[in-house]
Amino acid sequence: MSLVAVSNLTVRFPVYGVDSRSLKKHIARAAVGGRIDRGHVGVQNVTALNDVSLFLRPGDRLGLVGPNGAGKTTLLRCIAGAYEPDAGRVEVHGKIASLLDMSLGIDPSATGYDNIRLRGLIGGTSPSEMARKIDEIAEFTGLGPYLDLPLKTYSAGMQTRLAFAVTTSVDAEILLLDEWLAAGDADFQDKAHERLVSLVERSRILVFASHNLEMIRSYCNKIMRIEAGQASPIFDISRLDELLAA
Amino acid sequence: MSPSPTILRTGGVGFLFEFERAWADLVGSVLRGPLAWALARHDIASRYRGSILGPFWITLSMGTMVVGLGVLYSQLFHLEIHAFLPYVALGIVIWSLISGLTTEGCETFNQAAAILRQTSLPLLTFVWRTVTRSLIAFSHHLVIVVAVMIWARMYSANYLMALLGLVVVVANLSWLSLLTAIASARFRDIPQVVTSVMQFAMFLTPVFWRADQLPKRGLILTYNPFYYMLDVVRSPLLSAPQDPRSWPVLLTMALVGWGVAFLLFAKTRRRVVHYL
Repeated sequence: MSLVAVSNLTVRFPVYGVDSRSLKKHIARAAVGGRIDRGHVGVQNVTALNDVSLFLRPGDRLGLVGPNGAGKTTLLRCIAGAYEPDAGRVEVHGKIASLLDMSLGIDPSATGYDNIRLRGLIGGTSPSEMARKIDEIAEFTGLGPYLDLPLKTYSAGMQTRLAFAVTTSVDAEILLLDEWLAAGDADFQDKAHERLVSLVERSRILVFASHNLEMIRSYCNKIMRIEAGQASPIFDISRLDELLAA
Repeated sequence: MSPSPTILRTGGVGFLFEFERAWADLVGSVLRGPLAWALARHDIASRYRGSILGPFWITLSMGTMVVGLGVLYSQLFHLEIHAFLPYVALGIVIWSLISGLTTEGCETFNQAAAILRQTSLPLLTFVWRTVTRSLIAFSHHLVIVVAVMIWARMYSANYLMALLGLVVVVANLSWLSLLTAIASARFRDIPQVVTSVMQFAMFLTPVFWRADQLPKRGLILTYNPFYYMLDVVRSPLLSAPQDPRSWPVLLTMALVGWGVAFLLFAKTRRRVVHYL
């Protein structure tokens, strides 16, 4: 059974080589971002997440809202297994697909096809499975002959198409999405939306961080607000306005 | 149906736990061997993409260096070129493996930053990627060695001993590579330091001069780990007498080195992604 269980998760970033105290004070005073305290010599600690707990079962589609630097992406990265907690526990059962950063495993001088293969491998797809899927992925990007050209010749929107097509080609039980989806032209946006909806339907659990409330409303059934590393409990989507007003 | 992959991450619960996690990382990275291989192949291919000779530039550039240095030094030292060229060829080829692994080790984690920040792939996968990449380059260099040895009519050699020597050398270079990878992720000066040290070490190591040209077997050799690395691979291939200290020294170094490097890895594993 797929599940995501996060209990009392605390994540602190050591920030190395930042010795400017004024910057520290500057950030600490700002309304956005986590709490910053002084660690041992030359290292500052940013508390990105503080005592966050959540539990997701199959069928849960959680939307994360909150200002920039609140810790939404950090939480996604913890669930993806990239960041280790400083305290607390993250337990995930199920195959994860994370669409956190479209530059993942991208080599600008390699061709589109090479990048599709490379990214698929990094995402945990076996070479033989990748060989089976590559035509379908290539088709979905709509990039045609451009796929034989190096990626550095692509525009940002074209790169997004490619990254999106590869990452969404996996059959994952748990889907982690971050904001970057909003690229590509209108035509692709529609295609992407369609694909995302089908992907969300196929996956068991979704965690989606976004500032776009419309997207949150259309994909999610639960909601959580994160601010300065502190998370609210999980609410039903119907209480979104109430939560944002608070 | 196979059990679902599981991710379990918890806060620090003592060093024994960290050690266990580091071990799990090692096991996971070995299971994902094909990924390291695919990444390494991709690295080599992309480095030479668009060039006519492709990866054989590795061979060609090494060839010109070997011939140039071999001819020059045999004149300088008044050595017979048929005996000296194989010596130099092996020296340079093995040295390039040594210096390649240590200096490229510095980039291991920095290069993989984007991947490390959003997947749960084992860190050591990227160390194996660097090791594999260096071995691929090394195999291209071997063409030169084979050509030179055929030219010098040296057909009989103790290939088995040389191969075993290569294994123990790579075992040593791997931990060194892991060490430089962690250190350079944390401190940005390390790559420069490593490059300088390796350059300096090259002159102190009998790569293209002969150990017996030293007035007496001095401290330069005794305390030079790279001397033993060269000796253990090169001497069997040249049917030359081997330094009896080479094997014991390298085996001890491999054990102690991996011990130290692994402890450091266990201690820093959860921090590495934040270093980047």
